[in-house]
Amino acid sequence: MELEIDRVGKQYRGGFWGLREFTLDLHPGVLGLLGPNGAGKSTLMRILATITRPTEGKVAWNDTDIAQKPDDLRQVLGYLPQDFGVYPNLTGKEFLEYMAAIKGMDGKTARRRIEELLVVVNLVDAAKRPLGGYSGGMKQRVGIAQALLNDPQLLIVDEPTVGLDPAERVRFRNLLSDLAGARIIILSTHIVSDVEATATEIVIINKGRQVERATPDRLLALLQGQVWQWVVPEEQLPGLKQRHIVSGTVRRSDGIQVRVVSQTAPAAEAHPVAASLEDAYLVLVSEGGGER
Amino acid sequence: MKTVRVLYHLARADLIERIRRYSFLVMLGLVLWLGYLAATGEFRLTIGVDYAGVVDSAWVGATMAMTTNCVLGLVGFYIVTGSVARDYITGVGQIMATTPMSGRLYLVGKWLSNYAVLGITVVVLAMAGIMMQLWFGQGRLDMVAMVSPLVHLSLPWLGLIAAVAVLFESVTWLRGGLGNAVYAVLFLILFPASYLPLVGWTRDFRVNPFVDPAGMLIIGDSVSRSASAVYPVEAGFSFGILGFSEFQLFPYLGIRWTAGILASRLLLLLLAVALVMLAGRWFDRFNPARLVPTRRKGAAAEPVPAPAVEPIPLSSVRLTPLAGASARFRFGALLVGEFKLFLKGQRWWWYAVAAGLMAAQLVSQYDALPHLLIVAWVWPTLILSGLGCRENRLNTRQIVFSAPRPLSQLLAGWLPAALVIALLGSGAWARFLLTGDLVAVLGWLIAIVFIPSLALALGTLTGSGKAFEALYVLWMYLLTQGSTPAIDFAGLIPGSRFVVYAPAAAGLVAVATLARWRQLRAG
Repeated sequence: MELEIDRVGKQYRGGFWGLREFTLDLHPGVLGLLGPNGAGKSTLMRILATITRPTEGKVAWNDTDIAQKPDDLRQVLGYLPQDFGVYPNLTGKEFLEYMAAIKGMDGKTARRRIEELLVVVNLVDAAKRPLGGYSGGMKQRVGIAQALLNDPQLLIVDEPTVGLDPAERVRFRNLLSDLAGARIIILSTHIVSDVEATATEIVIINKGRQVERATPDRLLALLQGQVWQWVVPEEQLPGLKQRHIVSGTVRRSDGIQVRVVSQTAPAAEAHPVAASLEDAYLVLVSEGGGER
Repeated sequence: MKTVRVLYHLARADLIERIRRYSFLVMLGLVLWLGYLAATGEFRLTIGVDYAGVVDSAWVGATMAMTTNCVLGLVGFYIVTGSVARDYITGVGQIMATTPMSGRLYLVGKWLSNYAVLGITVVVLAMAGIMMQLWFGQGRLDMVAMVSPLVHLSLPWLGLIAAVAVLFESVTWLRGGLGNAVYAVLFLILFPASYLPLVGWTRDFRVNPFVDPAGMLIIGDSVSRSASAVYPVEAGFSFGILGFSEFQLFPYLGIRWTAGILASRLLLLLLAVALVMLAGRWFDRFNPARLVPTRRKGAAAEPVPAPAVEPIPLSSVRLTPLAGASARFRFGALLVGEFKLFLKGQRWWWYAVAAGLMAAQLVSQYDALPHLLIVAWVWPTLILSGLGCRENRLNTRQIVFSAPRPLSQLLAGWLPAALVIALLGSGAWARFLLTGDLVAVLGWLIAIVFIPSLALALGTLTGSGKAFEALYVLWMYLLTQGSTPAIDFAGLIPGSRFVVYAPAAAGLVAVATLARWRQLRAG
């Protein structure tokens, strides 16, 4: 099981490149795709999901070019788009039955799978209600269920936890961890904690290009001894933000507790703390590295 | 000043949103075709059956105004309606509702945008008329004579149509399908009734422009008066694609624009504004709690929160691996799904009317069957219009297009539509069979293939159901008139060559498939 992305680029009308020279070789595991808004994450997802054809480069699923033979991948693909709709007059169960038919699943397998999925996404009680009456989070869970219908070998989920309450988010993260191992999962998000909890590998993308590819441990190691924390008076905060990457602030009675990424101690009172993926992400997507 | 600025931006943004859609281009294509028919004399305006005007600027202007007011009076409503509904669907409406802008101001903005869309079609039609007059016309080009009927009669009439569309969108139960059906019924009754006084026209006839919103009496009277000035004829007009015959020609004298006519048009515009203001009385300002007051059991009008039940811990649930489960093409299952998509969501009265129409075909006079069939086939227009564009309308494109064999899904959607059309016409089909009328059976078969093919092609090409809704309702209306054999796809008009619609249906399905294939490749 292998997904090869070879120097893929996508140019939109007006000459704008949404993705450029993107190369990646994927095997079973969870790949966390991190990047700011407009970085090219959704463009890459849509190319991998056979929705969009790349302008240049090639994507191969088990050595088959997906632009030439998209159905080879579609047979084993599960895809949750960032922005999707549902058919409001169908019930949740009917929608999943319809999607199972579209995906070519036989009736018996589909029924069994749908029953399981409704439990997994916690929609058993709402399964017989029309989708038009679902809340945003419930629709998102239906979307997650349809992506898992055919037990996909390649599961692509674009911002899957948007609209989910904290308990459902944790539930979904656990589900992803459960599913990992026998398939390739690509999780695109800018919620770093979602990636931290599930990803075996992380790719950071910015302005359409790959900025970094590493395991979470390796990313954390990059910032070893470079994250500092101390309390500053509130009026000093704007100046600090101009000089350093401030990755966190907490208001306290004696001032503002700041978290700063810097190769050297930014202040005499600053003490080193353990780095987080959020620190690493902020450094990698900012242009000047740790110092400004 | 601030109000004007708000109105300008509201109308401008809405107009830009609409004219950048592919469906707008399709609509302009339809308008250009109408302009061609009017300018070349194919759309015939005659007095009695023998007399027609010389095709000069004044005649083309009058014919174009009549065509516009008739066609855009009906189709224009469907072209512009849906603007408020779009703000509901996209959620933009709820953002607007939180601003200081009043509901009435919002509706006036929508009216201006509606009016601008229809106004653009009139401008395009006028330009097309001028160009075609230069190429095909007789005599010199008289711009004022050509454009005056469009400016004085069409523009005020379309202002009223634009306002009616706003009114229908503001009343909760008239928004959407039922409102579209109500408008079609009202128009098809009231519009022909508006020029009924011209039947039995004599020289003593006097037009009261204040009871002639569509201007049909004004044009009809001017044409009859011109004919009677040359020939000993006193009759009202006929209008339509009447085929090429030998007509006795008369010079058309044009319309004398009296103060009464101009005042009546001004009044029409004031009536349009009043309608928009009245609409504000019912506009719910995007309050979802007021969206649909009564719904059938189980179908919630607004999102209902998930029940407060203890979620089953994920640790107790495991998905069974589907190792070896193959994804084959299962047409039966897909068809069942498409059937549900096609018919679910219809209210009980939809099925009751459908059953009534089928029963009526079984017990009616044999001569009434063509009209009953037309009504039965118009009944599912709003469901048919989802063919080929449902994925676009409901934003399920990415999910559906990333499934295996997405083209088969398109074709599987066609079959339930054909079956429903067949079912709705089943009473007539049984009567045709029992009487051994095999030509009628053949026409019936071609119709059930052609109608969903047309819907599928237009839906796929335009990404919207509006083109089909507008064209199909107009088409069926003209079929009821029985005077245009060329448009008969069901063998309902004696002597029509309806069999040509069988290959046309195949062509339309091919066009739809090609269009979807291109969408899939383009992403």
